[in-house]
Amino acid sequence: MNIKNIIQCRIGFFAALLAIIIIIYPLGYSLTDYAIANDRAEAQPFLERTAPEITDCVEDTIYMRYHHWELLGKIREEIVRYGKRGDVSLDTCKKCHTSRVKFCNKCHDAISMTPDCFGCHYYP
Amino acid sequence: MDRRDFMKMTGGTILAVSSGTYAFQFLVASGRSVSGDNIAAGTVRWGMVIDLNKCIEGCTACLDACRTENNVAFHGDNRWDVHWIRKVKAEQKIGTESKEKSILLLCNHCDKPPCAQVCPVQATYKRNDGIVIVDHHRCIGCRYCMIACPYNARYFNMKDSEHWQNEERPKRSHGVAEACTLCAHRLDTGRQPACVEACNNTGAGVLFVGNLNDSDSEVSQLIADRPTKRLREELGTEPKVHYIGL
Repeated sequence: MNIKNIIQCRIGFFAALLAIIIIIYPLGYSLTDYAIANDRAEAQPFLERTAPEITDCVEDTIYMRYHHWELLGKIREEIVRYGKRGDVSLDTCKKCHTSRVKFCNKCHDAISMTPDCFGCHYYP
Repeated sequence: MDRRDFMKMTGGTILAVSSGTYAFQFLVASGRSVSGDNIAAGTVRWGMVIDLNKCIEGCTACLDACRTENNVAFHGDNRWDVHWIRKVKAEQKIGTESKEKSILLLCNHCDKPPCAQVCPVQATYKRNDGIVIVDHHRCIGCRYCMIACPYNARYFNMKDSEHWQNEERPKRSHGVAEACTLCAHRLDTGRQPACVEACNNTGAGVLFVGNLNDSDSEVSQLIADRPTKRLREELGTEPKVHYIGL
């Protein structure tokens, strides 16, 4: 029985395996990236806290690093469209991260990405 | 297995796994989720009463307070200036007689807002408490709402505003339409709008803002006791700004 026969017998299995590999590949890639980024010391130079008595962010650091725009988008939707003015807003960020130049811009400049927030919202 | 079965199986697996991962996203999403309005429809309905008889000629306290509170664009040029509230001369013709009156004009926060109906991206919408608001994040600057508004209460930001007097509030960038928000940020936190506060500080007491659905509120009492008129009632937009002495 040569290799050609094996493939022909099990072709359904190979099709499924190929599909799963294609789907899993980007997921695994980003997961590995995520794990490496957490271990690297030099990946965390951005936080410039000026209020050391506040140790907790509204969400944990990893979430904020990779999803802060989603959080800000949700807060924006709650405030603007539903009138829910809760505890968290862009002003809450300003309490610890007082300078946009020293905090936000570090990453945003590195990936040359300019968010539209600060054309209208005051953040020195 | 023939080619047909092979295709079926590959397609089926891709569909199953991808829909699984898609559902997984929602399961692991953060606890914060956007839900409905915090005010149930019909409990609060903000409205305004303007007593023009008491309004002082030449006083601009409310106009200035509005500019300072909301960073409304001011360039000193009528082509680009934005006004959320302004004083205009209204003319009324009855037969051959015509009378002219200086009135305060602002967004009327209509119950059936034509501006919200024409907005192609639903940037302008009516909140459950009756305030008509522009979501500047969503506005594409098409200016349909300015054409639709029968009160000319809407303005367009032709330029970036250089005004940033109140740093707690955002200013507007170039290319969005805007109008009075009835200081929704203040009403949400239980304060009175900036114009009302300024007007009361001058002692005139021309402007009143309150809940129209609550029959004990000051505005409801005024509407019940005094003869009030609304602008262009015949259009059926159901404006919520009531004028005394129009």
